[in-house]
Amino acid sequence: MILRFAPLLIFVLLPGANAIRAETVIEGRVTLPKTHSAPVVNKRYEIITKGGVVSTNPPLAVVYLEGSFPKPATPPTAELPQKNLAFVPSLLPVRVGTIVSFPNLDDTYHNIFSYSAPKRFDLGRYRSDERPIPSEVFDVPGLVTLRCEIHEHMRGVILVLDTPFFVVTDAAGNYRLSGLPSGHYVLKAWLSSKTTLEQPVDLAADSLLHADFP
Amino acid sequence: MIAPSDANRSGVARFRTKLVVAMMLVVSAITALALYFTQRNMAGAFEQELQREFQGELAALQNVQELRHAALVERCRALVRKPRIHAALEDNAPDLLYPSAQDELSDLMIEGERPNEQPAYTLHAEFYRFLDRNGAVISPPPGIEVGSLRPEEEAQLALPTVPDRQQLGYLVRRRTPNGETLSEVIAMPISSSETGEIIAAIVLGFRPANFAIASENSSIKRGLWLKGRLLLDSLAHADETSLASEVTRAIGSDKVPASGFGRAIWSAPHLLFHKQLNPGSLFPPAYEVCVYPLTELHERQRQLRWKVLSAGALLLLGGLTASHFLAGTLSRPVEKLAVDSAENLAQRERAEAALESTNVELQRAARFSADASHQLKTPVTVLRAGLEELLARENLTPDECHEISALIHQTYRLSSLIEDLLLLSRLDAGRLKIEFGAVNLTHLIEAALDDLGAQPDAFVLAVETDFPPALHVAGEKRYISVILQNLLENARKYNRPGGRIRVTTREDAGVVFLNISNTGRPISEVAREHIFERFHRGAIGENVPGYGLGLNLARELARLHQGELRLLRSDEEWTEFEASFRAAAVSSEVAS
Repeated sequence: MILRFAPLLIFVLLPGANAIRAETVIEGRVTLPKTHSAPVVNKRYEIITKGGVVSTNPPLAVVYLEGSFPKPATPPTAELPQKNLAFVPSLLPVRVGTIVSFPNLDDTYHNIFSYSAPKRFDLGRYRSDERPIPSEVFDVPGLVTLRCEIHEHMRGVILVLDTPFFVVTDAAGNYRLSGLPSGHYVLKAWLSSKTTLEQPVDLAADSLLHADFP
Repeated sequence: MIAPSDANRSGVARFRTKLVVAMMLVVSAITALALYFTQRNMAGAFEQELQREFQGELAALQNVQELRHAALVERCRALVRKPRIHAALEDNAPDLLYPSAQDELSDLMIEGERPNEQPAYTLHAEFYRFLDRNGAVISPPPGIEVGSLRPEEEAQLALPTVPDRQQLGYLVRRRTPNGETLSEVIAMPISSSETGEIIAAIVLGFRPANFAIASENSSIKRGLWLKGRLLLDSLAHADETSLASEVTRAIGSDKVPASGFGRAIWSAPHLLFHKQLNPGSLFPPAYEVCVYPLTELHERQRQLRWKVLSAGALLLLGGLTASHFLAGTLSRPVEKLAVDSAENLAQRERAEAALESTNVELQRAARFSADASHQLKTPVTVLRAGLEELLARENLTPDECHEISALIHQTYRLSSLIEDLLLLSRLDAGRLKIEFGAVNLTHLIEAALDDLGAQPDAFVLAVETDFPPALHVAGEKRYISVILQNLLENARKYNRPGGRIRVTTREDAGVVFLNISNTGRPISEVAREHIFERFHRGAIGENVPGYGLGLNLARELARLHQGELRLLRSDEEWTEFEASFRAAAVSSEVAS
């Protein structure tokens, strides 16, 4: 994994606005790679693996603040349903220790499994009426590729992060992280399994920081 | 001198010998040619037959391989669609690759030994391995049934790069301490179902589909040549090595996939075919090699040779017999011809000798006649001169005068005779040459008729003439005059009292005919044949003076003038001679 240290672009302090909101926010834009012009065999894929590199299609980024944060008292939960033979959403960032449930919203069987190193599991076949809803705890940071043994084109990615502060950009690359603690951190932008951009950030309390990734 | 019969016999024998030798040569050449072409054709046909057999068996082998490959392609296509395989390969979980594939490929693997299964048609693999995207072998974890391979054998499965299409190769495996087995290896690419890129490959090992079941003829050896080694079932190791080096040499020098060439193994010539089984493969090239012994061909050729030779011998025998008869048939006329020609030769020689002697005698006689005539002329002249001098004396009585006149007349006759003889002898000796010129025949006739009228004769003859005022013929005047005088003299002498003489001429196509006829007794049929002979006188001429030279001389002279003298008719009314001459075209003033 190559880390690119992006130059610190702009620190813009807007004291007036911060006073009103009374929370620490980072906004910005991640320059997303151009939409893959390479022929994609099946347009249904939203997670593609090319040359061993996993990314989303169309490209999206996950921006998260890396640092040492206290563990939550109760494990957080998340839900990654399968609907219309696809994972919704296809890219799900979670905090370490999150219990992710995989409800089947289709009328057919699914068999979700992963061979990824951070989490290997196999839920076996189940239908929408399966109770309890199959779930797994993701307690190791890293990228977990989800597949369905029955539907070969189904792909999902769970990005397990050791932070509670993360957000998925919109299709244009804009993001907004709010409710951040003040302090010195590293802001990272995950673009693909191969590319994660990062920049150090100093967060003052109740401030709005603008940070772009080139 | 060799007797003609002996010479002929030896000649005929020589002819027969030549005929027989020629016959033998022809038969031998035909036999040799037949032998050569049949042998060559047979060798070519045999080679083609083997080639066809080899190609046919290769085709059968390829059919099996294609069948297997088609099944495998389908299997691999299904395999690469498996999300678990993809997950193991793409999600960096090689440890889970073989366990995931184990379930998928379990029915492909041989479960223990199946002795009753036809190895050539088996679709069951002996082993399988995965290659990563770089072509390296992904080692299977222990405890998974993927077919055992020694590390060095496994290393041979690696390819320089991951293949983009299926590859065929062969792997030599050591099974028992001394024995080796062969595995056919097929590498199939595994491509991503999302991007189409090749992410890995699977290599499956099979028992090779070989010719073992097709090969019932134990004398034909088949094997596989791989990396300088030859794997044959029934060859001793030393032979294998030498044959392998031979195949290496052939393949190294010959890029054509299949070709035949001969060489000797076990001191017997063999024909060797080879064909690459995996052209274009990333695996090392492997060649199917077939060794066909040529003993069968040689046996066949030997049988054929005997057949052809015996046929040739029979042909020769028949030819000899035929030639014997033919020579007999042909030589008979030749023999006859030889005898005849010998006889002819002898006859001719005799005739030539006779002719030669006759000629010599003739020459001698002619010379003698000429000499004699010449010697005679002088005394006659002297005699005449003496008589004329005697006649001139005045004291002679009329009787004496008459007597002397008669004697003088006789000297004239004598000198005329001598002249004729002289002329004839010159003719006979071939010394008389005519100097051709234009001669006015009319003048000559008129002069001759004048002379005729001056003859003292008892007969009173009427002369009828019919000729143009000027008629020219080619010749010499004095000789034509002799002809004319002789003919007129005869017409006068052999006439009857009060008879007639007729002289006519006519010209026809460049020939002038002179006809002189007289009345009188006809010449008898017998005499007609001889009247032109020398010293012949007709029976009617007993009382007529002459020596029988005139007609002969006239004819010889006429012929010398390129003309002719003939008797046209002789009957109670007329006896007619016709002389012909070449006409001479001259102007009137040249006429003499």
